[in-house]
Amino acid sequence: MIQKGYKLDFSKQTFGVILYGAPGIGKTTLAMSDGNMGADTLLIDLEHGVGRTNPIHRMNANVLSARNYEEVLADLETDVAKAAKTIVIDTAGSLVDYLKDWAFRTKPDAKTKTGAWNAMRGFGHVKTEIESFVNKIKTVMNKNVIFIFHCDEKTENDGSTKQRLRCEGSFKNIVWTGIDFGAYIQMLGNKRWACFSPEDEFFAKGCHGIHGHVEIPDLSSGVPNDFMAKLFDTARKNMIQENAAVADQMENYRKVIEGVKDMLEGVTDQDSANACMKAIADMPHALTSKKECGMMLNQKCVSLGLKYEKATASYVPAGDQK
Amino acid sequence: MKLKITKTLIESWAYTFDCMEEYADEAMADFLATLKREPHEPSEAMIAGTNFENLCYRIASGENVVETVLLDSVNPVTGEVNESRKFPDNYDGAKKIANIITGGQIQVPVSCDLTVAGQGFWIYGICDVVKAGVIYDVKFRTTSLGSSDVYGKYLHCSQHPLYLQALPEARRFDYLVSDGRDLYVESYDRNLIEPAEVHIRNFWAWLHTKPELLEIYKEKWVVE
Repeated sequence: MIQKGYKLDFSKQTFGVILYGAPGIGKTTLAMSDGNMGADTLLIDLEHGVGRTNPIHRMNANVLSARNYEEVLADLETDVAKAAKTIVIDTAGSLVDYLKDWAFRTKPDAKTKTGAWNAMRGFGHVKTEIESFVNKIKTVMNKNVIFIFHCDEKTENDGSTKQRLRCEGSFKNIVWTGIDFGAYIQMLGNKRWACFSPEDEFFAKGCHGIHGHVEIPDLSSGVPNDFMAKLFDTARKNMIQENAAVADQMENYRKVIEGVKDMLEGVTDQDSANACMKAIADMPHALTSKKECGMMLNQKCVSLGLKYEKATASYVPAGDQK
Repeated sequence: MKLKITKTLIESWAYTFDCMEEYADEAMADFLATLKREPHEPSEAMIAGTNFENLCYRIASGENVVETVLLDSVNPVTGEVNESRKFPDNYDGAKKIANIITGGQIQVPVSCDLTVAGQGFWIYGICDVVKAGVIYDVKFRTTSLGSSDVYGKYLHCSQHPLYLQALPEARRFDYLVSDGRDLYVESYDRNLIEPAEVHIRNFWAWLHTKPELLEIYKEKWVVE
C-alpha cells in the first residue's frame, strides 16, 4: 500500500529507546512503566535482575529468562511475546555477551587456531545477528523496544568525564542510529530525571517534542508506573502534529524538484539557462529546494560550457566571464 | 571590515583544548598554520576520507562500482564462465550512506553574514550533501566503530551550528559516520543546538587575549 505522507497514520507508531544510568537508579522499573503493571511488556531479563524491582511494579510482567541466545529466540516465538506491546532488553550489554557465546559455539571462524575468541570475526557475527534480532522486534513484530544499559564513567582526552554505555563492540554506537529516544537517568536533588538532550557529561537523544529533563514520578506514594506509556502517547501525538505541519512542505518540495528536473531537459544554451534561472527564482520553494535547484542548474550549465557571472547575475559562456 | 570564518578554523582552534596533552604543541602548530592560511599536504586520513566520500557519491549517483571479474573456471553444469564480483574497499559503509543521500545535491556551498560582538563575520562552508531540508556530512573513520565511543562526539562541534546558520531553510544536520562497514548517525535539530554565534563569540574572545594572533586573523581572513 502506498500512501501520501500527510495521510500516514502514526496512532500505532512504535519506538526504540535507550535507558542508561547508574545501578539501582530504577532503569528496569522505568522500562516496565507501561501503566499496566508490566502486563504489556516482555522483559528479556538477561542479568536476572528483575528480582531487584518492586514486586508491585512487575505484578503482571512477562519475564523471559534464558540460558543462551537460542532460548531467547525461541521464546520470542511464543504467544506471550507476540502479544506484548514493548520488549525490554535488560541489558543490551548482556545481549552482546549472549551473542558472543552463541557465535563462539556456532560459528567456526569466531575461534582462532588455538580455540580462543577471534574478536574481529566473532564481533562481525555478533553485529550481524544483533541487527537482525532488533530488526525482527521493531519491524517484523512491530514492538516498542527498550534497551537498558549499565554505564561507566570514562575520562576523555581533555580530562573531562563522560557517562558511557557499558557494551562491547560497535553496537554501543550503531544502536543510537535506529532509536528514537535515548535517556540518561540520574538523580538531581532528591528527584529522578530522564534526560533526553545531550550534555557534556552524557549523550542522549530526543525527538517528536521529547527533549530536555523529564521528571520521573516517585512511585512510593502509589502513583501508577506509566512513564513510558505516557511518553509514547505524547510522542505519537506530536508526530501527528509534526506530520501535518511538514507534509505540505514535503509535497511542495517534491513538486519543485520534479518540475525543475523537467525544466533542465530544455536547457540547451545561455538563453534557456538564464530563463530557467529566473523561473527557479520565481517558484514557490519549500525546505532546501531553492538551494538544490540552483545546484542542479549550475551543474547543467557547467556541462554546457556556461559559468555564472556575479556582475551580471547571469550565466555566460565560460570564456567570456568579466 | 568583514572576516571570513569557517568550521575548519574554529575546529582547529577548539582541538588545541580538546586534544591529549602530548599533542598540544602539534595541535597549536596546526591551528597557526590554518590561521595563516598556509597550504598543507593532505594527511593519509584526509585522503582516505575523501576517497570514501567519493565512493558514497558514486554509489548514490547510480554508478556501478562493483567490478565483475571473469574467472578462469567454467561452471560444469551451465558451461558458463564463472564470475566473481569485486567490491571496492569500504563498500558496505558507503552503500549505507548512499542509501540516505541518493537524490540530494553534493558539495553545496553555503554562506551568510553574522555580526557577533560588534564584528561582522562571513560564515562560509561546503555541505557534503543537502537534501529535503537536511544537511548531511560524511565522516570516515580509519578505526572500527567498535573500538571507541563515537556517540556525542559532535555535540560541541561548530560545523552544524555554522552550516545551519548559513542555510536557514535546513531544519536538521546529520553526521553520517562510517568505518567502511557500519554506520552511525548523529542528528542535530536546528532548534536544539548551541547557536553559531556562541562558537564565534568564544573564538573571537580568545583571539583578543592573543593580540598577535588577532592581527594575523584580521590580515589573512578579511573579506572585501
